[in-house]
Amino acid sequence: MSMEMSDTKSARPVTPVTIASVRGLKVHFQSKAGRVHAVDGVDFDVRDGETLGLVGETGCGKSVTGRAFLRLLPVPPGILAGGSVMFRPQTTCPDCQGDGCERCDDSGRRPAPCPKCRGQGCTTCDQTGIESLDLLTISDARMRDIRGDRIAMIFQDPSKALNPTLTIGEQLGEVFLQHRHADLLAAAGIAEDQPGWQASALRRLASQQDRGTDRLLVKLSGAMRRKHRAIRQALDERIAAALSETQIPNPQRVMQSFPHELSGGMRQRVMIAQALACDPDLIIADEPTTALDVTVQARILDLVRQLQTSRGSSVIYISHDLSVVRHICDRVAVMYAGRVVEIGDVEQLFTNPRHPYTQGLLAAVPTTRTPRGQLAAIPGSVPELIDPGPSCRFADRCAKAHGPCASHDPALQPVSAGHDVACFLEHPITTASRARA
Amino acid sequence: MTRLQSSFTPDASKDGGTLLSVRDVAKHYPIRSGALQRVVGQVRAVDGVSFDIRRGETLGLVGESGCGKTTLGRLVSGLIAPTSGQTYYDLDSSSLAALDAAQTLPEAERHAALAAINAAHGIETMPIEAKNRFRRNCQMVFQDSFSSLNPRHLVIDLVGRPLRVHKEASGSDLTERVVELLEQVGLGRQHLYRYPHQFSGGQRQRISIARALALDPELIILDEPTSALDVSVQAQILNLLNDLQAERNLAYLFVTHDLSVVEHMADRIVTMYLGKVVEAGPTRSIFDASAHPYTRALMAAKLDLGPAGAASENKAVLDGAVPDPARPPRGCRFHTRCPVATAQCGWEIDDIVRILERHEALCDTLTDVTRESDFAGTLVFEDADAAQKMAAVLASEAVPQPFRDALELAETTGTKLRVRFRQAEDIKLTRRGPDHLAACVLG
Repeated sequence: MSMEMSDTKSARPVTPVTIASVRGLKVHFQSKAGRVHAVDGVDFDVRDGETLGLVGETGCGKSVTGRAFLRLLPVPPGILAGGSVMFRPQTTCPDCQGDGCERCDDSGRRPAPCPKCRGQGCTTCDQTGIESLDLLTISDARMRDIRGDRIAMIFQDPSKALNPTLTIGEQLGEVFLQHRHADLLAAAGIAEDQPGWQASALRRLASQQDRGTDRLLVKLSGAMRRKHRAIRQALDERIAAALSETQIPNPQRVMQSFPHELSGGMRQRVMIAQALACDPDLIIADEPTTALDVTVQARILDLVRQLQTSRGSSVIYISHDLSVVRHICDRVAVMYAGRVVEIGDVEQLFTNPRHPYTQGLLAAVPTTRTPRGQLAAIPGSVPELIDPGPSCRFADRCAKAHGPCASHDPALQPVSAGHDVACFLEHPITTASRARA
Repeated sequence: MTRLQSSFTPDASKDGGTLLSVRDVAKHYPIRSGALQRVVGQVRAVDGVSFDIRRGETLGLVGESGCGKTTLGRLVSGLIAPTSGQTYYDLDSSSLAALDAAQTLPEAERHAALAAINAAHGIETMPIEAKNRFRRNCQMVFQDSFSSLNPRHLVIDLVGRPLRVHKEASGSDLTERVVELLEQVGLGRQHLYRYPHQFSGGQRQRISIARALALDPELIILDEPTSALDVSVQAQILNLLNDLQAERNLAYLFVTHDLSVVEHMADRIVTMYLGKVVEAGPTRSIFDASAHPYTRALMAAKLDLGPAGAASENKAVLDGAVPDPARPPRGCRFHTRCPVATAQCGWEIDDIVRILERHEALCDTLTDVTRESDFAGTLVFEDADAAQKMAAVLASEAVPQPFRDALELAETTGTKLRVRFRQAEDIKLTRRGPDHLAACVLG
C-alpha cells in the first residue's frame, strides 16, 4: 500500500512522501559514570498520514527520540550529539482554501512552500520548493510556534501532564491563546492590524502577553470589557468544540472541572483534545494507553485512529505493548539500546520478523498456544549504554550471535521492499568491509 | 497439573484440598464530610465476595481498575480487616461443609453454628499462634517494587527480614539462607549488599518474590506483579513463578487486569465488577464459554498479536464509566453498561438520574427527587413543561429498550413526575457448568 502511495505522490513533485525524517539522531546524557548513549544514530522517516509505531523495552531510547521532535529534552545533562530531525510543516492548500482539490489529493492541505524562494526551488530547499526545518537547530521562538500547533504530544500519564491547579478549560485554552489568537480577535471583531492602544491591549491579552495595565484597562472601560468578553466566549466555544470532538459528554461541565475530578479515561481524552486542538501535522503519542484499563484503552485507540484518519495527520506511536502497535500502526520501528534494529510494515514485521530481538519480543507475549512456564523470555536485560564499543548491542543476549557480532556494528539494510534490518545474519559481513573496519 | 516430587512437597493428605475459603467478605470505607466529619455514605469497595483457593492452584482475579480486586487481595492476606464476613484458613472438608451449610441459616443461628469454626480457622478471630502460622503461610508480592522495598535497606535485610522476625535463622546461617533464596529467583551472592535502587524493575520484582518465599509459604498473593514490567522481563518472571509453583506446590492468588497473562497463568478465574464477583470458573471454560456479558466485554477489549481485521471492527466496546461504588446500581451492577440487559436486571431511580445527565437542559430544571424505594419515587421539576419533556424522553428511543420495559409507571401531575420500576432482587451466582458460576439473568 505504502509503495503505491509513494509512486503516485512522486509524480507530483510538490507533495513529499515524508513529513518528517530523522537522520543519525544522537542524544547522549552526561552522568558520573560516563556518557550514556541513550539514542545513538537513529534513522527513520514518517510518511504523510501514516501511524509509525516505535517499540522497544524500557530504556531503549524511544521516548527520548519522541521528545527530540519537540526539543523537550533536559539540556544539560542531555547532549544533542548530532544528527537532524527534519520536519516539513503543512499549510492550507492555496488552490482550494482547504476544501480539497486535485492538487492536494482532496486533503485540503499542502506542504508549506520554502520561505526563501516561495516554492520555486533554491539551494536552501534542495530545489524542492518545500519548507524543511531542522527541529534541533531552529530558534526557540520558532520552536514555540511549532510546539502544540504543528507538532503535538500526547503524554503517557495524564494525571502528571495536566496541571492540577488549573481547570480543564484554562489549560486547554492556552493552546488557542498561544497559537490561534488571531482567530479569537477576529471573532471579537478586531482586525489584525487595527491601530489604537485599546486594540493593542486586547491583542496582548489574547496572546497571553498582557501587562498589568491591560487587565486594569479591561476592568475600567466598558467597551473593552465587551470586546474582552467576546474573546473569552470565542475561546470557550473553541475549547468546548475540541473537547466534544474526543467524545467527552457534557464538555461545558468538564471545562469547569479540575483534572482530579475526572476519571483516567476522561483525562486522557482531555490530553488528546489538547493535542488535536490546532489540527497538528504530526502527533507524538508517548504510551497514551499504558495507564488505562483494557476497556478504556480500546475506546481511546478507536478514537485516536478515527481522528487521525479524518484529519490525515501523521502519528508517531511510542509503546512497549506489541499488541497495541499491531492494531493501530501502519509501520513499526523496533528500537534496542538507542538504535533502530528493524523497521517495516506492520504485516511484514509481525508475520516475518527478521531480527532476533524482534523475534524474541514477539515470542515473549503470552498467547493461548504457549504452554505454561514456557514463555520464550529474552535472557538478561537492556545493557547500560555508557560509552559502548563497536559491536551489535544485542549480541550478549542473542541466541544467534556469532563471529562479527562482537566486533562490528551492523547497519540498517533492506531485506525486502520497505523492510530494513540491522543484523549480520541477514547481511553477512564481507571481507572488504571487515578490512575497512 | 503436574507437580514435581521434591523435598518441599507437603504431606499427601493436604494435597489438593482447600487452603483458604473466603466467605461473604465485604469492605466498606466511610465517606466523611462536614466540620464534624460525619459519615455520610459508604464506598463499597468489596461487597460480599466468596471463593476458595485450593492448594497448588493459581486463581486469577480480574476486573477493571476500581472494581475492588486489590482491596480483596489485601483482605485475603489479612493486611486490612473486613467490615463483615471472614476468611478461613486451612479448613478440612468437614468444617468446609459445615461452613457452607451455615451460610444458608438465618443470622442469629449462623453465629452459633460458626462459633467453633471462627475460633479455630477465621483469620480475624483465630488465636495468636494460629494467626502467626497463617501469616507465615500467606505472603504477598506487590505491584510497585519501588514502593514495596525499603530504599534504605540492603537486599540481605529485605529478604532476611521474615526469617529474622520468625526467628528462623540468624548470623551466618541467615546469610546462607538468603543466598539460597536469591539463587532460586535467579540472583546471587553478589547482590546481597546492594540497595533496591541498584536493580532494574525485573530484578526488584525478583527480590520481592524471594522475600515472599523466605518462610516457605503455601499461598502467595501476587498483586499485578508484572504490570510495571516489559514484555520480555514479564516472560522471565512468569516462567520463574511457574517453576517455583511446580517445585513447592504453591498456591497463587494472581490479581491482574491483563487477560493474556491470566489466561496463561491461572487454573481458575474470578471476574469482579464493582465489588461483586460476576463470574467464576475454570480458565478454559471462562475463555471458551463465558456466561457473563462483562467477562465477554473484557475479552473483546483485549488485543492480541493476531492480524487486525474484521474482529476488531465489530467489537462491542463498553460504553460509559464504572458507576459510583458508593451507590452501586441495584440488581445486576453491570446493567447500566450491559449490551444485553433485560427488564429484570434491576432498573431503578438512579438510572433516570444517569439519563438526565445526558440531557443537560432537563438536568438543570430538576429540583428534587423523593424516593419511596430504590424502584419508585417522584421527580420534581421547575415547571410542568420540563416534567412533560422528561416523561417523553423516558418513553422515547433515547433510553434503552429494557429500561422502558422495566418502567411500570411514569405519570406527570403538574411539575411532578411519578415513576415506578419493576422490583428486582440482587442477581445471585448460579451454576453454569462444572465449577463454573455466573451472576446473570440470562441463560
